[in-house]
Amino acid sequence: MLDTPRRGVRTTGLRPRMRVVEYQMYVGRRIWRSVFVVSVLQPLAYVVALGVGLGAIIDTGGHHPLGVSYIQFVAPAFLTAAALQIAAADASYPIMAGFKWIRTFHGMAATPLTPAQICDGQLIFVAIRIALNSAVYLAIMAAFGGTQRWAVLLTVPIATLTAMAFAAPIAALAATIEREGNAFNMVFRFVVTPMFLFSGTFYPISELPHWGQWLAWVTPLWHGTDLARGVAIGGLGAGAAIVHLAYLLAWLVAGVALARWRFCVRVTR
Amino acid sequence: MLRLLPSHVVAAPAPRPLATVDPARGDALIRAEGLTKTFGEFTAVAGIDFAVERGEAFGFLGPNGAGKSSTMRMIACVAPITAGTLQILGMDPVTQGPTIRGRLGVVPQQDTLDLELTVRENLYIYGRYFGMSRAELRPKVEELIDFAQLTERADAKVEPLSGGMKRRLTIARSLINDPDILLLDEPTTGLDPQARHVLWDRLYRLKQQGVTLVLTTHYMDEAEQLCDRLVVMDSGRIVAEGSPLHLIGEHSTREVAELRFPPGENAAAAERLAGMLDGASERAEVLPDRVLLYVADGERAVARAHEQGLSPVSSLVRRSTLEDVFLRLTGRSLVD
Ligand SMILES: Nc1ncnc2c1ncn2[C@@H]1O[C@H](COP(=O)(O)OP(=O)(O)OP(=O)(O)O)[C@@H](O)[C@H]1O
Ligand SMILES: [Mg+2]
Repeated sequence: MLDTPRRGVRTTGLRPRMRVVEYQMYVGRRIWRSVFVVSVLQPLAYVVALGVGLGAIIDTGGHHPLGVSYIQFVAPAFLTAAALQIAAADASYPIMAGFKWIRTFHGMAATPLTPAQICDGQLIFVAIRIALNSAVYLAIMAAFGGTQRWAVLLTVPIATLTAMAFAAPIAALAATIEREGNAFNMVFRFVVTPMFLFSGTFYPISELPHWGQWLAWVTPLWHGTDLARGVAIGGLGAGAAIVHLAYLLAWLVAGVALARWRFCVRVTR
Repeated sequence: MLRLLPSHVVAAPAPRPLATVDPARGDALIRAEGLTKTFGEFTAVAGIDFAVERGEAFGFLGPNGAGKSSTMRMIACVAPITAGTLQILGMDPVTQGPTIRGRLGVVPQQDTLDLELTVRENLYIYGRYFGMSRAELRPKVEELIDFAQLTERADAKVEPLSGGMKRRLTIARSLINDPDILLLDEPTTGLDPQARHVLWDRLYRLKQQGVTLVLTTHYMDEAEQLCDRLVVMDSGRIVAEGSPLHLIGEHSTREVAELRFPPGENAAAAERLAGMLDGASERAEVLPDRVLLYVADGERAVARAHEQGLSPVSSLVRRSTLEDVFLRLTGRSLVD
């Protein structure tokens, strides 16, 4: 009877991954209130300060230089950029802590869970949080007139995809670094923030010099922003949409592969 | 005679052919041959052979850096082996890692408890990783809280618990899946004597229930208390194997007389004492602060030392322990 596996242990498929999600939900239960408050306050601040405030200057006399009201122009971009920023934060220190301080992932690695499942579960958890956060964002945008049609609902999955395309390689970095997270400060200061400023969030990238446009094209955020804005206010061709999607998916697939590899190296050493 | 350098290294058991389960030999739950682990150029485990039988309490005794944890992590199917063969529960860790891990209980050297969660939550969540259902876990968790003697703290966060309580929780957690083999990497290191005794009592109880225990330690008293059979490891190699009594009988004398001389005089005293010993089986060992006489009759050795005109500051006679075995085999003490 030595080789009969323990009854009911499933070692492939979605279920083992969802155990990791369940763990994170347990931990998150204690802090969900503050997380929720932040996820309401942040979009409120952006919408009021920039959408409404800046919008009043740009949309002078009922004239819309961008074709739609400014708040409708920036709302899908804010949604996408916020999703990416929060996902990057969630994939950085918390994952690093899971290896280094709390050592949760090392504990999981001693159970039937595989390193790839632990990695996937962790990323699924971040994705769920981002999707919920984006839904809240969208509701607040709608309350301030930032939306005009039903297709805007698609911005939630688009923002989540964009966020995870960027968060997966961050998770790989978090699983790799051994010392304090200085690398994260660099990433936030020199990648995340500039990306937010140069990815067509506040104005179309056609306003940028040529090199600036090239830079935007490389970032996953611009592709996500353009796609989200396209479904929210129209004016995006099917070909461009497919290119955006393919580019984001390529980042996601490569990022997940990288993260799984780094998780495996870290826990099996 | 004065202490010899490790004169002979006990040969590891003769290599046995690999077989899934051979009923004629009793079913070895763990079988390792030429098991090796290297980190880059560095060899942490240098080709060791051992087998653990069902129901046995098997120990790895060795000092810091001997390669105990590296070995345990390979047995736990967490770290891949570099060379050799390893079979656990008749399976190959490379291809059946998750299935094997599903039937092991692991107490790692460093706790991996979630300090933000409660005692109960830690047990529950860990059971979920093994695919256990809520209904299955409910009674199991209560039983283990009881086993860990943490009933009063069941709904308290883990963070403020004492080291001993955390360790008991880690052990309780490792039992959540009713493991076939329990792996304990230094279960009591860093605990005060009282907490250690409570833990030993828990482990002894498991042993009585027939749980197969594999543990590492650098405490010889722990090894003597808990292990039916053990291997002594040093620098990635096994230098001796047997039951605690067998090892003591084979590598040490029945008694040890410890004579303490003023600082600086120990070596000279040992020189003189060595002359009066029976060269074949008895010997003297110089430590920085005392001389150890390995003899059949300790009291007589002390008396003879006085007859020789030596006057130690203090003397005591005790039985040989695994510590003496280790000193004999490696020339170093276990705890440094
Ligand atoms: N991941 C690693 N990378 C490089 N070297 C390692 C690694 N893990 C262990 N070692 C080295 O391998 C040797 C054996 O380590 P191991 O942890 O197996 O010893 P140990 O017997 O468990 O010691 P201790 O009593 O200190 O726990 C040590 O010299 C250690 O520095
Ligand atoms: Mg160790």
